[in-house]
Amino acid sequence: MTSRRDFLKIAGSAGAGLVLGLRLQGKARPGAPAEPVFHPNAYLAIRPDGSALLTVPKSEMGQGVRTALPMVIAEELDLDWSRVELHQAMPGPEFLHLGTGGSTSVSTTWMILRKAGAAAREMLVAAAAQSWGVAPDQCRTEKGTVFGPGGRTSTYGELAEAAARQPVPKAPRLKAPQAFRILGRPTRRLDGPRIVTGKPLFGLDVRRPGQRFAAVLRCPVVGGTPKAWDASKALAVPGVHAVVQVPTGLAVIAEGTWPALQGREALAATVRWDEGPNAAFNSRDLENQMRSALQGPADPARKAGAAAPALAAAARVLEAEYAFPFQSHTPMEPMNATAEVRSDGATLWTGTQNPNTAQVRAAAAVGLKPERMAVNVTLLGGGFGRRSGTDFSTEAIQVAKAAGPGPIQVVWDRSDDIRHDQFHPATLHHLKAGLDGHGRIAAWSHHIAGGAVLRSWLEGQKSPGQAETEANGAWDIPYDIPALDIAFAEVQVPVPLGWWRAIEIVPNVFARECFLDEVAHATGKDPLALRLELLGRRGRVKLGGEDVDIARLRRVLELAADKAGWGRKLPAGHGLGLACHAYDRRTYMAEVAEVSVKKGQLQVHKVVAAVDCGIVLNPEGLAGQVEGGVAWGVSALFSQITFEKGRTVQENFDTFPVLRSPDMPRVEVHTVASLEAPSGMGEPPVPVCLPAVLNAVFAATGKRLRRLPILPADLA
Amino acid sequence: MPAFQLTVNGRPRSVDADPDTPLLWILRDNLGLTGTKFGCGVGLCGSCTVHQGDKAVRACQVPLREAAGTAIVTIEGLAPRGLHPVQRAWIEEDVAQCGYCQPGMIMSATALLADHPHPTDAQIDAVIGEHICRCGSYPRIRQAIHRAAKGGAR
Ligand code: FES
Ligand code: FES
Repeated sequence: MTSRRDFLKIAGSAGAGLVLGLRLQGKARPGAPAEPVFHPNAYLAIRPDGSALLTVPKSEMGQGVRTALPMVIAEELDLDWSRVELHQAMPGPEFLHLGTGGSTSVSTTWMILRKAGAAAREMLVAAAAQSWGVAPDQCRTEKGTVFGPGGRTSTYGELAEAAARQPVPKAPRLKAPQAFRILGRPTRRLDGPRIVTGKPLFGLDVRRPGQRFAAVLRCPVVGGTPKAWDASKALAVPGVHAVVQVPTGLAVIAEGTWPALQGREALAATVRWDEGPNAAFNSRDLENQMRSALQGPADPARKAGAAAPALAAAARVLEAEYAFPFQSHTPMEPMNATAEVRSDGATLWTGTQNPNTAQVRAAAAVGLKPERMAVNVTLLGGGFGRRSGTDFSTEAIQVAKAAGPGPIQVVWDRSDDIRHDQFHPATLHHLKAGLDGHGRIAAWSHHIAGGAVLRSWLEGQKSPGQAETEANGAWDIPYDIPALDIAFAEVQVPVPLGWWRAIEIVPNVFARECFLDEVAHATGKDPLALRLELLGRRGRVKLGGEDVDIARLRRVLELAADKAGWGRKLPAGHGLGLACHAYDRRTYMAEVAEVSVKKGQLQVHKVVAAVDCGIVLNPEGLAGQVEGGVAWGVSALFSQITFEKGRTVQENFDTFPVLRSPDMPRVEVHTVASLEAPSGMGEPPVPVCLPAVLNAVFAATGKRLRRLPILPADLA
Repeated sequence: MPAFQLTVNGRPRSVDADPDTPLLWILRDNLGLTGTKFGCGVGLCGSCTVHQGDKAVRACQVPLREAAGTAIVTIEGLAPRGLHPVQRAWIEEDVAQCGYCQPGMIMSATALLADHPHPTDAQIDAVIGEHICRCGSYPRIRQAIHRAAKGGAR
């Protein structure tokens, strides 16, 4: 396993077997619906009353998997959508790869879920056909009912018991996408009513009998440890029970969150830290290191043609440096986990994108076998990659073990969440374009320097796939350029790094698409015309061993430009900018932004997005993801994390501002109809948004912003 | 510690806790009403919004001592039977992504509509601009408020 791509393949490689009978645990409570009698596989079960219980094998963090994935099963099974209930998968033998990330939830599970639904449907039909003495192909299904010849009908509930005795078909017949009745229809999220009524759905809402609360005092400098402290001040706070040491710091255990936080504040006043080796780390020095790294050797991510000689021989070379800062994930629900360690095992309740790894690591931390560690996955109050980390779940189990019997909820406040994030790394980009005598790009070089997220993910190991992973979005540049030199120069950073919504593709596409805009303006070409020229009339091409359909990318670019009225006359002070990208070589995205800059104030008025992600499962969900992706992209133009003396300067939303309602642009979404396999939509709308806006700023003002975040002085 | 009396969702409650404890934690930890969310703890994000009397307030900024003797309504008590028209509009516009910020948004939206039955976009932004939705559901929040206004939500 060497790159992020490999992780994603594995995450999608094996779902549960189709023949496995999942026992949905729990005794029937009085008044509760009867136990399912038909559970042909791990993904679905049908009760005698005809209601269906569908298991969701991915974590819900707002991207809509708890609606889209059940839709897939319901489609092939012809369920009555109004009678669907959800069950969240837990790690275990049936579910070895619940990891949620990389916008892969749909692409990796959709065939598995279709087969699961189709197999169950065939068994229900076989049961009905048998009881009626007719052939299965004389029957059809709709909304949880089998219809047979002569007006005979039977509901799935009535058939459930007999269906359970049917053999499980090995190769169930799947519907043709043209016949879909549930998929492709705008569908509201199933959890909507529970969310708007404030039901306990999130990790922080977990309340177990006898539950206590904890706040951990961690050294603000990563790698620092407490040298001396006086627990008596904390213990004097009413409601505080104990102070215990854990590997991440000192945990204050209390009867409520507030006493835990108050106790921690009292404890903080007494602690002396050994700040460790990173106490001098700061953003300025790091930037200088990155700049020198750009002069030195770099790991190649992709080479094509002979870039160095082509650049040397070029009639003209354009060159620029782009900078992207550290970023914090800041999901609205701060990190947290609830944990309990008993003599016979342990339990975690947490919103995690990575339940299997959380299970293995938490178990190891307290010396248990993974199967003794139950992991309940709650809804995630935002994930954005942060909850792929296992630091917060492992810490919670360590606190629970140190604190003794009973469940403990470890609550991070916002400053914990920001200071101890697994940061999206800062990067510096050096780009060069060698132009021939006609102003055509003969060679393109994009070198990136910064910390490697993959190394942090692999707990310090450098893998051969590192450059490819860190230069994602740069090496798969879709344009037809004869010579390419794309490389990554690693600079070690002492803080933990993690993938952020749309990962390294955000900074890499920002630099690439802005610099391409510079080339357009320098050669007197329209930015749209230049991109269309460089995409050319190509169809499928291989980029880094993967198929990319350039025609699909071209189509979304043309669509976005057309819908946005590219080239139209704009009010004074306004500008249009665009960008396009084939995200992870699978989701084709283009965006056109309209901005204005007046009195130094940037306003993003509108973003027109065009997307081709193959078959669209839920258009309602897709639109929401584009709106959210644009919000994330615009937000990223203004936020940054900086380090001084080994610690973040920012610790709440006053110093780490994120997008708010008045600055949210209007978003228009256009989708290309497609019968290609579905890809993902959680991340692809993000990366193109930044360069589209910045290119629009240039169009409006003539100012080329190459450094993020945008500071007030930049537009003054 | 002294016991404080307050009314929560129409029910008289007595709470024994440090008078400085923010109402947010009283609701979540002492009264088991976890629909009111913790996002920043310092009045910047609006996740913890509840009604105190007829005003929308940040529960993380109201100490127990100031909540005592007042009537508090949380997301759980907004519509004791069924759904409030604003909640219905939220479902119909499919506003929620992760959903975490939404109880606070809804509490502010209902207070806004009580003051301005037909708010303009600017009036909506003035109120919702004090909240954060990291998932970016802002366009739908605005649409849902307009929808609720049309339906005569109060
Ligand atoms: S938690 Fe109260 S405003 Fe953020
Ligand atoms: S819906 Fe996720 S924070 Fe608003």
